[in-house]
Amino acid sequence: MKILQAQGLGKTYRRGGQVVEAVRQVDLAIAPGEILAFLGPNGAGKTTTIKMIAGLIRPDRGTVAIADQNPHRDPHALRQLGAVLEGNRNLYWRLTPLENLEYFGVLRGLSRTEARRSGRELLERFELSHKRDAAVQNLSRGMQQKVAIAVALVHHPKLLLLDEPTLGLDVEATQTVKGLVQEIAASGCAILLTTHQLDIAEALSDRVAIIRAGAVIAEQPTQELVRQFSGASYQIELEGNLEELLEAGVRSRLESQGIVMQGNRLFVRGAEALYEVLELLRPAPIFQVKKDAADLTEVFLKLVQES
Amino acid sequence: MKFPLLELFLAELRRTWIQFIRYPSEAIVGIFIIVITFYFLFAGASYIAGPDAGLSGASGSERLEVLVVGYIISILVISVLSTTSNSLEQEASTGTLEQIFLSPFRSLTVFIMRAFASLSLRLVIVGISLTAILLITGTQLRFPLALVMPLGTLLMSAYGMAFAVAGLVLVVKRVSQVLGAVQFGLFLLLGSPVETMEGWGRAIAFCAPMVPSAGLLRDLMARELPLNWGLYGIALANALFYLGLGFLLFARSERIAKQRGLLSGY
Ligand SMILES: Nc1ncnc2c1ncn2[C@@H]1O[C@H](COP(=O)(O)OP(=O)(O)OP(=O)(O)O)[C@@H](O)[C@H]1O
Ligand SMILES: [Mg+2]
Repeated sequence: MKILQAQGLGKTYRRGGQVVEAVRQVDLAIAPGEILAFLGPNGAGKTTTIKMIAGLIRPDRGTVAIADQNPHRDPHALRQLGAVLEGNRNLYWRLTPLENLEYFGVLRGLSRTEARRSGRELLERFELSHKRDAAVQNLSRGMQQKVAIAVALVHHPKLLLLDEPTLGLDVEATQTVKGLVQEIAASGCAILLTTHQLDIAEALSDRVAIIRAGAVIAEQPTQELVRQFSGASYQIELEGNLEELLEAGVRSRLESQGIVMQGNRLFVRGAEALYEVLELLRPAPIFQVKKDAADLTEVFLKLVQES
Repeated sequence: MKFPLLELFLAELRRTWIQFIRYPSEAIVGIFIIVITFYFLFAGASYIAGPDAGLSGASGSERLEVLVVGYIISILVISVLSTTSNSLEQEASTGTLEQIFLSPFRSLTVFIMRAFASLSLRLVIVGISLTAILLITGTQLRFPLALVMPLGTLLMSAYGMAFAVAGLVLVVKRVSQVLGAVQFGLFLLLGSPVETMEGWGRAIAFCAPMVPSAGLLRDLMARELPLNWGLYGIALANALFYLGLGFLLFARSERIAKQRGLLSGY
């Protein structure tokens, strides 16, 4: 059973004669309790995708189903959805956390009593009860973000969308939010999360989807992806820039073998290839050769920089 | 939960009034501005007209009453329009606007409930301002029960325009400057007794938004006339037309905004 199923999503923006193909081909699926990290460089199309899933942007192509309902046609689908979108805090600054929870709960279809009860529980769970009656604008940024997440959960949705939930938070607040995300998923909610902090993505996510220029280029369980890349992957670092140290002919041969080159580094997959590459590099001065115990950051960079 | 719409309306009412009560200074400053502006307009008018034209004379006092009603109507309408656009612009920038579109309620439904809720606050603020003006100028107005009928049609067309403005904010974002010009036009249109014009002017006045209702209000409150049912029919048709047009433009704008990815941000 999948809570979210998005298939073949595509969106092109046209404004003032400019045409931006923001999303070209995106398929995503998330099961209950699963955390999917949706990663990609700036402008890759993450926010556009998230907003298409939430029904805020109409896709040109493709379909979205949240618990088998289409949010673009059936507003009831939105009962199953909570979202904290990028940018500001999605809250009324002059209201207290509890008042915000109560208001948004009713907006999501709860009665006042239900919204209040759910709000109180969430504040308790998020350790915000002591700030229940302070105006949101007087809270720290970290607390505001916690309230925003609580608001997104007030109606007990099955799918939570988080667009850069740790943006602008300090180390401690980031840790808190991380913990909350894990806890929310543990309670059975499916989570789609974007972030540029890849250590967070690696620690939190069950699966990763990497998007580049509007298309998903990799989608795998996080640990598998990392393992696959670290298994037999080597990094050779020269004592100077590749452009200066290697002749053009050598460089194009390396390139034709699928070796990724970047600054003073080469990324090589497989032990066989490593020896061949070393042979090709002779007599360029090598600074070090190391086996890539890749982390998600490196995997990400390689995937995104490969063409 | 038996009455989701009622729940929504009450939630909007609470949200509106809590924000007002917690930060009343803006509203209080607003009341001051409304009263002071009238005072200077009034003083200016009697200065230009000269003491002989006598705004305080027998027929002059009726003219003053007409002036007060026209003034307070324009203030009410303008405050409905400007709070709509201001709050929407602000909500777009804090991100609460998108949350409204994430609701299982249709956005039009949510905004109608909001309109009712914020209307209650507008009426209180304008009511206080009117009382202050009446006290300061020593004017007396009538408040017959029939008053609620043209007031209703006035507000219907006013909210029709407010919905059109709201749609514009969704698509164009910054509309404050444009709105300033529109407001000035409305001020002239609603503040002056166009209903007394003859011929084509009269026909145009009936078609312009809110004008027939404003005329009826002046008749009832200042000229001590009974409700003219014929005119009321025109006012009602006018109100339904502008309200429908506003809803239509709003729904249209929402579709465009979703198509172009404009709901807040970008
Ligand atoms: N409403 C819009 N109108 C026109 N172009 C847009 C609109 N929204 C986004 N874009 C463009 O579409 C592309 C994808 O933007 P999007 O916001 O989805 O990227 P993102 O992956 O979320 O980036 P970031 O990591 O910076 O948040 C970008 O080139 C952006 O400039
Ligand atoms: Mg983004």
